[in-house]
Amino acid sequence: MREPRPSRTLLATSRTALVEAWANRRSFWVQVGAMLLNDSVWVIFWVLFFHRIGRIHGWGTDDVLLMFAILATVTGISMGLLANARRLGWLVAEGQLDAVLTLPVDPLAYLLIRKVDTALLGDLAFGPLLFVFAAHPTPERALLYLTGSLCGSAVFVSFVVMLGSLTMVVGGRGEQGDLGFQALLILASYPLDVFGGLTKLVMFSVIPAAFITGVPVHLVDRFSPATLGALLGAAAVSVVLARMAFRAGLRRYRSGALWTRA
Amino acid sequence: MLAIEAEGLRKVFTGRGGGPKGRRRTRSVEAVRGISFSVEAGERLAYIGPNGAGKSTSIKILTGILHPTSGTATVLGLTPWKQRRDLARRIGVLFGQRSQLWFELTPRQSFDLLGRIYGLDRSATRLRVDELGGLLDSRDLFDAPLRNLSLGQRMRCELAASVLHRPEVLFLDEPTIGMDLVAKQRFREMVVRLNAEQGTTVFLTSHDVSDIEQVARRVIVINGGTLIYDDRVSRMRRSVLSTKLLDVRFEQPPAPGSLDFDGMQVIKETGLGYKLVVDTERRSIREVLDTLLDTQRVADISVLDPPLEDVIARIYERRPS
Amino acid sequence: MSGLTPYAAAFASAAGRVVRRPGELAVRLLFYVVILIVFTALWPAAAATAGGSIAGYSAQALLWYVTVAEASVIATKPRLIEDIGNDIGSGAVATEMLRPVSVFGLRLAAETGEALVRLAMALAMGCAFMLLVKGAPPRPAAMLFVIPSAVLAVAANLAAQHTFAGAAFWLNDAKAAWFLYLKFVFLLGGMLMPLQLFPVWLERVSWALPFWTMAYAPARFASGHVDLWLLAGQAAWMVVLASVAGAVFAAGERRLEVAGG
Repeated sequence: MREPRPSRTLLATSRTALVEAWANRRSFWVQVGAMLLNDSVWVIFWVLFFHRIGRIHGWGTDDVLLMFAILATVTGISMGLLANARRLGWLVAEGQLDAVLTLPVDPLAYLLIRKVDTALLGDLAFGPLLFVFAAHPTPERALLYLTGSLCGSAVFVSFVVMLGSLTMVVGGRGEQGDLGFQALLILASYPLDVFGGLTKLVMFSVIPAAFITGVPVHLVDRFSPATLGALLGAAAVSVVLARMAFRAGLRRYRSGALWTRA
Repeated sequence: MLAIEAEGLRKVFTGRGGGPKGRRRTRSVEAVRGISFSVEAGERLAYIGPNGAGKSTSIKILTGILHPTSGTATVLGLTPWKQRRDLARRIGVLFGQRSQLWFELTPRQSFDLLGRIYGLDRSATRLRVDELGGLLDSRDLFDAPLRNLSLGQRMRCELAASVLHRPEVLFLDEPTIGMDLVAKQRFREMVVRLNAEQGTTVFLTSHDVSDIEQVARRVIVINGGTLIYDDRVSRMRRSVLSTKLLDVRFEQPPAPGSLDFDGMQVIKETGLGYKLVVDTERRSIREVLDTLLDTQRVADISVLDPPLEDVIARIYERRPS
Repeated sequence: MSGLTPYAAAFASAAGRVVRRPGELAVRLLFYVVILIVFTALWPAAAATAGGSIAGYSAQALLWYVTVAEASVIATKPRLIEDIGNDIGSGAVATEMLRPVSVFGLRLAAETGEALVRLAMALAMGCAFMLLVKGAPPRPAAMLFVIPSAVLAVAANLAAQHTFAGAAFWLNDAKAAWFLYLKFVFLLGGMLMPLQLFPVWLERVSWALPFWTMAYAPARFASGHVDLWLLAGQAAWMVVLASVAGAVFAAGERRLEVAGG
């Protein structure tokens, strides 16, 4: 038996997770279909809103549809492809981490990749479709949209992983993760520039919703190297912080926090 | 060759909470208090104790999940918590209520991926799955989606998954929880077969006494974090309880008072069938049999060891040695 | 009156349950606060762009509108249909059918008990928040009507949810229908924005459906417009929805009896 290359193992794991999502065909189409309809309703809302109200703080229908396309893509990746990310705290509380620790894999990567949420794959389809139909796609814009979405996903996943790692330290059933992730998602679902100073500050730091949609939209519409740098930097920093948080949490978990004693 | 060696293992859990709401002070719980034992390669060991005795903690230390507070342990020559990933390649672990398999997929599809994780190539995995299908009587299960299988069937597939890579040691933590009687028996048979035909060392934690009888040759009993008994199962009954059960069927009802003698007691009476308990410290079995056969018309008689539950209960009552 | 006792008991015990789980409630309320923060940013900006008021709603009116609309919807459990679906699948409902009370009635009573506690907390919190951050509602006296209207809104919402959930007697995957249902409530029910902001054809569609009773009605009062006939409409729709849900459950139970759960 030779040590397999981690990247290939992860790829194979991801493929398996996708096969699983696809396995129950009827359920797959029902869930994806429902999500597509769900997303459409949001698009209708925004179209109606801006049709009635016009531009707000420099945002119009086009901008908000681009924002929503990015949001859908980000949630498709962060909650669809990496479905376990936001459930990390709960998984740890359920003892699922133990099963992973007895496998010759990197626990965080394996946990994240191992499960795909079928419904959110609808988002993953909707996002690009919306971009193509409503956001004036050009090769340059498409590339920026992809970059922006990937960075946004990195920030999103890192944030929820950090919150999930808290469970390894303080216990609980992952509620911290739930609330934080909801807050992140809500804030990222609205045009960044309507928010006032204090909220915006929060969105650029503690609850990094700005990097999920706001900054990526800026990147696509008004590209500048500074914006790209900021986004890439935010993504990189988030990933590093998330890894550190998980490692610290794991150390605490393995050294035996009281609550982990099943 | 020693598969597992533990010396003075201690595990203290510290943290806040665990008390009534609002009382968040730091507490510590010593779950394992200095346990030492060793397990030879190829052995079948049951590691039993009541809830909270430290069984799960011990197995988590031995599989590398937890660091002990003090003491040493080696599994296959490796220190589990320091060499977790290396060890993971050589051991198999099955937790009673956690699944390694994907719910919507067939076990075979899950095996494909797990094989890759363990570094087996496609054909090796396929051969091994075939072999396990035969060994565990589960060939017909491997191609149904996991969600369609019953708990007992699922656990047999999980068992196959845990030994896909031919581990030298198999750790099982309460594997038969929730299974019905028949499923439990089948599962136990499979574990024994694995040990018999592949030489896999088996380390099984449980609080189900039948797991001991049907799977283990050796039993370690722990309670309150300390090891209080370590012996072969066959000797356990005899050495711990000095009672024997007699199952007797008489040809005609015994005269009243004729079964009253010192060291023997009637515990059940159903028509002509009697269950008697003999305290072998007071009166030898030989004597009792002789007396019964001489004074009564006996149609059938069997001599039985006391039920294992009683034995275990008696062991729990012991002070740690 | 003894015929009502089991329902009253279910109502009270469910309400008590929510009160005893402050953690869950807190999470829901915090989520609500984040939404309110978003609204306090979005709607004043929208009103300002439109020149101070939109369709007769001032910025202040809009804020109080969305506060009450959101509170009314958030009071109901997001996973109701899943829970009912699970209960049907697990046989819990079959067990409930053995009792000499209406399965649907008992469940509705219990859900209403829970929801009203959440509603009270949400309204209290939302109103306090809005009062502190943005000031008083346009017509404080109108807020009196919010209470009965919100109660009716929640009751109607629950009744409709139970209808959808009743589909679980036939389907396995009522979850998708549920998703859609929520979106109808959000959009056509006027939770996301007042119905008057819709294009005329959509506004007409919304009026024809029952969803406006679940968010728009109480919110309309909060925005300072006292359209009393709304209360009558809400009551009427509630009766209709409850009857439909009851019928669906009855049919579903018959199916369970025949099919053997």
